[in-house]
Amino acid sequence: MDPSEVEFLAEKEMVTIIPNFSLDKIYLIGGDLGPFNPGLPVDVPVWLALNLKQRQKCRIVPPDWMDVGKLEEIKELESKEETFAPIPSPYYMELTKMLLNHASDNIPKADEIRTLVKDIWDTRVAKLRLSADSFISQLEAHAKLDNLTLMEINTTRTFLLDSLNCMYKLRTNLQPGSDKSNDY
Amino acid sequence: METQSYTPVPPGVGMEENFLSLDDILLSHERLPCRTESAFPRLGFLEKSADTRDIPEGTKMEMPLWLAKGLYERKRRTLSVDPPKTYRQGWRTVLGADPNVVDLHKMGPYFYGMGSQLLHFDSPENAEIAQTVLQTFIGRFRRTMDASQNALDADTSALVAPLDALERALFRAGQAGLAAYQRWEGGASGRIEASGLVVNYRKRKLGELQA
Repeated sequence: MDPSEVEFLAEKEMVTIIPNFSLDKIYLIGGDLGPFNPGLPVDVPVWLALNLKQRQKCRIVPPDWMDVGKLEEIKELESKEETFAPIPSPYYMELTKMLLNHASDNIPKADEIRTLVKDIWDTRVAKLRLSADSFISQLEAHAKLDNLTLMEINTTRTFLLDSLNCMYKLRTNLQPGSDKSNDY
Repeated sequence: METQSYTPVPPGVGMEENFLSLDDILLSHERLPCRTESAFPRLGFLEKSADTRDIPEGTKMEMPLWLAKGLYERKRRTLSVDPPKTYRQGWRTVLGADPNVVDLHKMGPYFYGMGSQLLHFDSPENAEIAQTVLQTFIGRFRRTMDASQNALDADTSALVAPLDALERALFRAGQAGLAAYQRWEGGASGRIEASGLVVNYRKRKLGELQA
C-alpha cells in the first residue's frame, strides 16, 4: 500500500468549511452534503474542502485538535506513555499535511503545528521500532497496537510482516512434525 | 513502487523450497561436504581429484545441495552428509556470543536458507542448528531494521555488506517503505512519473544503438 493510498482514505474524513457561495443540498453516493450558504459553517469531506479551497470558494476551519496547546499536551503524554497514546484523529499526519499544504493561511501558527506533529510522529515511530524489536526478541506471536494509525503501520508493514514470516518459518523448522522429507 | 507488476517467486526460507524461486535454485547449488556410503559406478568424472571410472565407497567429496538431497536416504545406504563448518559447534558458539559481528554474507550468502535445508539430513545436531539459525536471525533483526529505517541519502553499502541474502531482501523492503513515506511527505507522490521499467528500457535501447 502506497502512502498516497492512505492519503486517499484520509480524504474521506470530515472537516468544517465556511463557504462563500450558495448551493442546494447535493446528493452524493457516500452521503448528502450541504446546503451551502455563504458565511455558515458546513461539514464536508476533506477532498471537497481542498478542491473548494483551491477554487477560492471557501475558508477551512481547522479541526479542534490542530491547536498548539492541545498538540503540546499530546506530545507530552506520548513521551511519558510506554504504549501508544490515543491520538485525536486516525489520520492526524495526513490531515496535517494536506491542510497545511493547501490551507495554511486558514490555520493559526501553521509552522508550530507542523513541527509539533512531526515531533509526535517521530516519537511514535521510534516507539514502534523499539516495540517491534522486543516483540521479535521475545519470540511473540501476536501483539496489540490499539492507537497506531494507518500511516504509521503502513511505513513498516512490509518489513515487519516479512521478518515475522521468516521468523515463523525458522521457528517451525524446530518442530519434528514439519519434517516431510525423504519421501522421494 | 515502480516494480509493482514484477513479482518474482519468493524464496521458501523454511524446510520446503519454492520450486520456481531463483533464489532457492541458487541456494541449492551451494556445496556440501559428503561421504559416499556405496560405490557409484561410472560417475568418476564427478570427482575431479581422482581419475577412476567409478566413485568408490567411502570417498569424501563435495556435492551441491540438490544432488545430496536427492541421493540422501535415512538408512544411509548411499550417502552421509556433514554440516558445513559454519554450522558446527565452533561457529555456533561464536554466533551465540554475538550474532552481530559475523559477516553472514561471507559465510552464506544463504545462511538461513542453507541452515534450514541442512535439517533434511537428520544430523544429530539438528536441534542445535535450527536453534542457532533462529537465534541468529533474532539477534540481528535490530540491526537490519535500524539500517533499513535510517536516512535514505546515507551510504548504506557498509551496512548491507555483512547481511545474508534473506536479510538483504528485508532491508530492501524496509527501505522501500521508508522511501515511499518520504516521497509522500515531500509531496512527490502527487506527480506523475514514467515507470522505472520504461525508463530503463529506453536507456538500454540507446545503448544498443551506440554499440
